[in-house]
Amino acid sequence: MTAKFAENVMRMLEDERTVKVLTTVDSSGTPHSVVKNSLRSDEEGNIVCLELIESSRTNSNMTGSLWFGRKVSILLVGRDGSSLQIKGRPYKCVVAGPVFEAHYRETRKQLGNVDLGAVWIIAPDEIIDESFETRWREESDAHPLRKHLDRIRAE
Amino acid sequence: MKNNEDFHELSYKEVVEKYPDVSPFVILKADIQRRTVTYTPEAVEAAARGGYQLQSRGIFTSIGRDGDFFPVSLMLRDGSSVFTSPVRTPREPYAADVVDGKKVIMDGGEIVDEVDFWYMPDYMGKTTSSGRPMWQVASARPQRMDIDPYSYCHFWDDGKGCRYCNMSSHFKKDALPARIDAQDVYETVREALKQDGRFCYIKLTAGSILSGEELFDDEVNMYIEILQAIGKNFRTRKFPSQMISSAFSLSQLERVYEQTGLMSYTSDIEVLNEEKFAWICPGKQLKVGYREWKKRIFDAVGIFGKGFVNSGIVGGVELAGPGGFGSEDEALRATLEEAEDFAVHGVSVVHCVWVPYPGSVFYGQRTPSLEYFVRLSKGLHDLRVRYDLDTDMDDYRRCGNHPDTDLARVFT
Repeated sequence: MTAKFAENVMRMLEDERTVKVLTTVDSSGTPHSVVKNSLRSDEEGNIVCLELIESSRTNSNMTGSLWFGRKVSILLVGRDGSSLQIKGRPYKCVVAGPVFEAHYRETRKQLGNVDLGAVWIIAPDEIIDESFETRWREESDAHPLRKHLDRIRAE
Repeated sequence: MKNNEDFHELSYKEVVEKYPDVSPFVILKADIQRRTVTYTPEAVEAAARGGYQLQSRGIFTSIGRDGDFFPVSLMLRDGSSVFTSPVRTPREPYAADVVDGKKVIMDGGEIVDEVDFWYMPDYMGKTTSSGRPMWQVASARPQRMDIDPYSYCHFWDDGKGCRYCNMSSHFKKDALPARIDAQDVYETVREALKQDGRFCYIKLTAGSILSGEELFDDEVNMYIEILQAIGKNFRTRKFPSQMISSAFSLSQLERVYEQTGLMSYTSDIEVLNEEKFAWICPGKQLKVGYREWKKRIFDAVGIFGKGFVNSGIVGGVELAGPGGFGSEDEALRATLEEAEDFAVHGVSVVHCVWVPYPGSVFYGQRTPSLEYFVRLSKGLHDLRVRYDLDTDMDDYRRCGNHPDTDLARVFT
C-alpha cells in the first residue's frame, strides 16, 4: 500500500508525549480539529485512529471523507517543539473482526469502561515537516526576495 | 414491475456519477443486494482460511446445510454490511473473488472495490447443554446477534402469506424444529458475550403466530420467554435489542416492554399503500388490516419512545407485477408520501432491497432499477432529517440491511 514511515515520524507517533491533532472537514468544507492521542502507525505504513465516540463530528467527517475522497490532516507536535503534518485519506473503517476486537480490548484496558466506535485506517499521501527551523530555511532558500531590508542593513 | 426490456437501466458507475451527493458505498450496497453475488472458489478458500463464517441458519436462508459452504455475506471498506447471498435473479450478479491477495468485488470482470467477509464468532463451534449447535440458535452479523425463535409463519396456514416471502418454504426444506428453546438461547448468548467487542446488538424476529386468546398472544408469549432468557445474561434491566414482529396491540406491547429488557420495536408495514398491501400481504390484511397495522406501529412510540420504533418496507415490491404500481415515479411518490405520515407520528421507515427469493410467489420477477433504490434511500433519509428521527436501532452497524439508514452516518 504505502511506504513505511521515516524514523523521525515513527518516533513522534510512538512518543506518548507527542500532541496529535486530527483535522477533518464536513461537506461544506468546515474544518473540525480534535486531539487524538490514539493515533499510531500500523505495519503497512498507514495511520490508525481510534474513534471512541460513535456519533462524533469526527466520525461523521471521516465517513464523508472516505465516501467522497476528501483528505484529512494530522498534526504531530513533539516535546522538543518539532512538528509534522501528515495529509491522508481515510481508507477503511473497521467496526468488526480481530483487528477491531484487539483495539477494543486494549482501549478498555487503558481507559476503563469506554466503548469503541470505529478503527479508522488512514492512508498517508504526504508528510510535511512543519518545524519552524525547517520551514524558515525552505522559505529563505526558495524566496530570497521575501524579507525586510532592515534585516540585511549594513552595521 | 412491468418487464420492459427496452428500458435502459443506469449502471452502478452511471448512478454514482448522476448522484454525486449519495455515498458510492450505499449505491454499491444496494446494487449488490439487488443483483446478488457469487463467490469464486478462491474467495471461498480465502474465507475458509481466514476465520470467516461459511455456515449460518436463518429463517429466510441457511448456508452450509447441504455442504454448500460459502461466505455468509460481505462488508464494504466503509464498515457497512451487505446482506446478500447467491440467489439467481434476471440480472448478472457481482462476483466476490481474490486478486493479488485481496478480497474484492467484481462487476463484469472489473474490480469495483475491496471487500471483507463476516468473521465467525467464537461461540459458533460450541453446543448448548442440550446438544444443539449454537450456530443453529443464533446467527451473527458483523456486530449483531440474530435470534429467530420461530421459523414458520402461520399466515401461510391458509396460503395467505406475503407474496415476496420465502420463510415457510425455506422452513419446510430446513428440516429443523420451528421453535428454538429458551435455555439454548440463554446459553448461546452467555457464550457469545464472552467475546469482548464482538456484539453490540441482539435482534429477534420470527414468523407470525396467530393463535392465543387475542390474535398474536402466543407470539407475544414466545418473545417474552426468549427475551427473559437473554436478559438473564445482563446486569442492566434493559439491553440494546430489537424485536421485529407482528403488529401487536397496545396491551401486548406493554407486556413485552414491562416484562423484558427489549429496547426497540419494529413491525414491518412491508408496502406503503393500502391497496398494494392487501394484494401483497393478504393474510395481514385479512387478520389486521393496513390501517390497524399502521395504527399499532404508531401506538408503539408511546411505549418505546421516539427513535425506538420503526417499520420496514420491502423496497421495490410495490412495483411487483401484476398488481403493483405502473412506474417507478408513481411508486416512489406514493411510498414517500405515506412514509411521511409515519415520520409525522415519530416512526422511521427503513427499506431493504427486494430480492425475489426461490420459494416466494414473486420468484423470477424483475426488480426495479438501481436508480429507484437510490432515490428511495435518499427520500427516506431526507424524511428522517426533516422530522429529526434517529436511526440507531437499524443503522449500518446494528443492522446493515438498509441502504437508507447508512446515509445517516454523515451529518447533513
